[in-house]
Amino acid sequence: MMKKLLLAGAASLAMTGGAWACAFENTVPVSSLSAGFEAWKSVTEAMAECGNFEAELDQEFRTKQPAAFAANPSLYQIGGVSNGTVTPLINEGTIRPLDDLVAAYGENLSPNQLIRVDGQIMAVAMMVNTQHLMYRQDIFDELGLAVPTTWDEVITVAEAIQGAGVVDYPLGGTMKSGWNLAQDFNNMFLGFGGQFVGDDSMPMINTEAGMKALDMMQRLTAFMDPEYLVSDSTYVQQQFQQGKIAMANLWASRGGAMDNEAESQVVGLVNAAAAPLAMEGGAPATTLWWDGIVIAKNITDEEAEAAFRVAMEGLDTEMVQGANDEAIWLISGYEPNRLAAGAIATATASPPPASYPSTSQMGLMHTALGNELPAFFTGERGAEDTLAAIEEAYITAAKEAGILE
Amino acid sequence: MKFRTFAMFVGPSIFLMILFIAAPLATVFLQSFQITQPVVETQQVETCTPGFLEQTCVTETKTVPVLDEFGNPVTTTEWVGFLSYQRVLQLDRVGAALAAGSWQQIMAIDFWKALRFTLTFTLLTLPLILVVGLGLAVAVNNAAKAIRGQIIFVSLLPFIITPVIGSLSIYWLFVGDGILTAGLEWWLERDIAMFAQAWTIEVLMLFYRVWHVAPFAFVIFYAGLQTVNQDTLESAIIDGASRWDRLRYVVIPHLMPLIIFVSLIHLMDAYRVFEEVVGFRSQAHVISLQWLTYDFLEPDDAGNRAISRASASAMLTMIGIVILLIPLLRRTWRDHKGSSH
Amino acid sequence: MSTPKALRQPFSLRLGSAAFLIFWCLIAAFPIFWIGVMSFKVPVDAFAPNPFDVVFGPETRARGKGLSILDIVLGLVVLWFAARVAMRNLSPLVAKYSPFGVVALGWIAASLAFGVGFVIVFFGILPPILGVLNGIAGPLGAPIIGLTTEHYQAVWFENEFWRNFVNSLIVTTGVVTVSLTVGTLAGYGLARSGSNIAFWILIIALIFRALPHSVLVAGYLPVFVNSAEILRPILGEAAPTLYGQPLAVIAVLVSINQPFTIWMLRSFFQSIPVDLDESARVDGCTHFQAFRWVIMPVMWPGVITTGLFSFLLAYNDFLVTSLLLDAQNQTMVPGIVGYFNRETTTTDQVEAVAAAVSITAPLFLLVMVFQRQIVSGLTAGAVKG
Repeated sequence: MMKKLLLAGAASLAMTGGAWACAFENTVPVSSLSAGFEAWKSVTEAMAECGNFEAELDQEFRTKQPAAFAANPSLYQIGGVSNGTVTPLINEGTIRPLDDLVAAYGENLSPNQLIRVDGQIMAVAMMVNTQHLMYRQDIFDELGLAVPTTWDEVITVAEAIQGAGVVDYPLGGTMKSGWNLAQDFNNMFLGFGGQFVGDDSMPMINTEAGMKALDMMQRLTAFMDPEYLVSDSTYVQQQFQQGKIAMANLWASRGGAMDNEAESQVVGLVNAAAAPLAMEGGAPATTLWWDGIVIAKNITDEEAEAAFRVAMEGLDTEMVQGANDEAIWLISGYEPNRLAAGAIATATASPPPASYPSTSQMGLMHTALGNELPAFFTGERGAEDTLAAIEEAYITAAKEAGILE
Repeated sequence: MKFRTFAMFVGPSIFLMILFIAAPLATVFLQSFQITQPVVETQQVETCTPGFLEQTCVTETKTVPVLDEFGNPVTTTEWVGFLSYQRVLQLDRVGAALAAGSWQQIMAIDFWKALRFTLTFTLLTLPLILVVGLGLAVAVNNAAKAIRGQIIFVSLLPFIITPVIGSLSIYWLFVGDGILTAGLEWWLERDIAMFAQAWTIEVLMLFYRVWHVAPFAFVIFYAGLQTVNQDTLESAIIDGASRWDRLRYVVIPHLMPLIIFVSLIHLMDAYRVFEEVVGFRSQAHVISLQWLTYDFLEPDDAGNRAISRASASAMLTMIGIVILLIPLLRRTWRDHKGSSH
Repeated sequence: MSTPKALRQPFSLRLGSAAFLIFWCLIAAFPIFWIGVMSFKVPVDAFAPNPFDVVFGPETRARGKGLSILDIVLGLVVLWFAARVAMRNLSPLVAKYSPFGVVALGWIAASLAFGVGFVIVFFGILPPILGVLNGIAGPLGAPIIGLTTEHYQAVWFENEFWRNFVNSLIVTTGVVTVSLTVGTLAGYGLARSGSNIAFWILIIALIFRALPHSVLVAGYLPVFVNSAEILRPILGEAAPTLYGQPLAVIAVLVSINQPFTIWMLRSFFQSIPVDLDESARVDGCTHFQAFRWVIMPVMWPGVITTGLFSFLLAYNDFLVTSLLLDAQNQTMVPGIVGYFNRETTTTDQVEAVAAAVSITAPLFLLVMVFQRQIVSGLTAGAVKG
């Protein structure tokens, strides 16, 4: 209640002429459900300036979103999604095409932001994210090392850093068992030119690319903290901040934390470069992600219109200017900083890295990878057995989900 | 008491339990024999996603659910017998592993791996909790009256603290160069990584559970000690029973119903171990049965969840608990027969 | 008071038992003490590998935030008196001023008043006084330990954690009240009925308690989200969406906790002599009247103890509340865990620690106040097997 009052107050204040004002006064109650990271906090705060808006930043959004959007009427009007989590909403038809709304209110959007499925605009992207190389410039300068462009070079550089003994561990890895570990494998697998499933939905993991990816990952773990199977992005980011590691393939959205004076002991010392290649002539061994908004289908057109207008206020230039370093924004007015260079170099590489596939198969594959890969790294299973186990787990899950016969 | 009166007394409670426990339980039971799938078709779909400056569009074959005229996905539900149980238990692979005499191959199957850990965890923590709880109760009962209150207060802290927070507080003490790991490293003069191998993680998980539950056992035993018959104790002393004998022949028999009670509660809770796996991030090394169920239920990015296998593994977990509880339940049955006649 | 000679303990035994207790108290309190220390430091100090850096917080001190010797001494004195009041004086006060039969309400009011009073004195009145004193105390007033309350301010004011606190209060109060009302009736009925049905109800309840919660909760979600649609044919347009409703969560938590509650209360009622209500029945009372006039006055010790267990369950629950409540009605535990999602920062983590310490404080208070009731309630028979 209090928050509502405050928001209403903020809105009326805005009406009287703040530079950050919302362009209209929203009278239809609108709510959103999204993930809770920094960029979403900024965006939903900007949306709230229009009044009558409730934001739900929920870590359980992956579980709640499909159910809440399938209800009639939908419990939320606006959804925050990424290319992974938009899949169930598109598949089950619980979000609406946005072509009309974009035509009416999307004059500030660039064509790059419009996510099209079969020509229809289904979502509006606000930022891209990718894992790319971050490294300690001071250590590289001191030891006279060149920034590695391939993973083989990363190993050479890591050996040199380990030899010099300047940090605890040359490499950091976001290899927490489960989602993170699977994502690291995905990066490497795609980097070696792998393809997850064939056109018949059968898995294609147990291939040369899979073997190479596992082999490369295992060679890298020799330079990591032995607790790599519990380290997620936050942990690696902390290791960077405390000066314990010299390099890591880390999410672009984590860049800002390196220069946060309250947390970091390495302010200004970390630089970013493109994600290394797994093989010559290949794409950087990483995936491209986007985050953006969708509008629910099971609501009235009036609500949809209000929701879209509120969302556009959240994705405007003023918001980006206030939160420039929190993400690699796609919105006009964004000024890339020093650490954004890595993500931009990755995204504009030639050939470019693949976008993370939004398919049901990929969801199943990601889970199978997350569950079966740890046994390889703990030494319980060989590479070939692990890949076979992943395929088997995937097939069982795909049969249960009705994707395979 | 007449049945009508009895029904009125217990009615509300039974109603709530039927609505919120029995009904979902029945659904879970049914779902473990069914598989519900969306009807899918494959389509050529062109998807355009942003790069940093320009979009990339790819056309790929996608499997998408068929929607009915109201826009809801069409689903089919099929009775599949024990298929989901088979998918969880993987008995054929167990058979092959047994034939090969390979323990490791059995442990490569999630369910058996989880069962192994859950059982060890339950059976190892039980005596530890009873012993620590009883030891504390006796020691506090011996302590000077003036400081008992403070000791009870401090002892109860691990029990009342929110489990998520308790396990995190211990996790932080040990992860990476957490201060206790750093202390151990300094003491033993070697590099230690507590979360790099299975056994150290298991020890930490056991420690956490004992730390968390022993106060519960303690406070119950302590309450029980207050009602030990002093006359019996004194006559035991006159008979020349040693301290140890008194504990063994007077105090412990007196506390027996409480020991059963604590064991009952603890067996059930420990068999459902879950928070430790999440809190200590042990998935790579050890998993528990409830974690397995949870993992089946957790939707992936694409929204898939393995509901049938989750139901099957939940039913298997329940069967396991019932088997564990049978000896204790038989005793309760005897007591019931004894008391009602 | 003289102890019989044979009961007197040899020195070695006393030493051993004292050492055991000290060791246990250290283990029990240390992790909690440690997160308490972490919550008052800037992130660089909080996660420092050297324990002395965490305790003394050089980085925090460097930012001019710290405690002087004077602060520490005065703070400890206030804490000591607060604990003393809670342990000694609160109990007689409540006994004196609460009307008959509503002792529990009296306790709730007293502990709330105490909690609020403590917060006002400790965080409202003490700091300005110390600010003045430190200025005139010279070296005694110079900071020696780094300490900052910025995370608490961020959590409670910027992140509006007080809203979660209010929600927790609603859910917990609801769960304890409903759970005890329903559970007391059932426990009494079960205790006074020797029939086999009663026994099987208890056994089935026990098996219900064994059900993994994650399965139950996942089953509720789709039903709760679509409840408006499902109930519309019955209730018409007034059909509520249960998802996000504290009332629905209260019902779920009460049910999940029913098995334990009825077991505890049944054993407690069994320890109350049957003659008591039977003599009332001879005087012409119905079972309900006997329950109301004879049993209720003597049942409070057991009910309070059971209530505490319900309280802990509701207050500490994560699985149910995180999935079935929306952001507006979120309770504290899922609120805290929300800080640890995939994109969290080190500052978020220290804020989460501060939040975690804040939610532990009411639990501290509760145990301090109710400690004797727990033990006496259990002694009186709430756990006789």
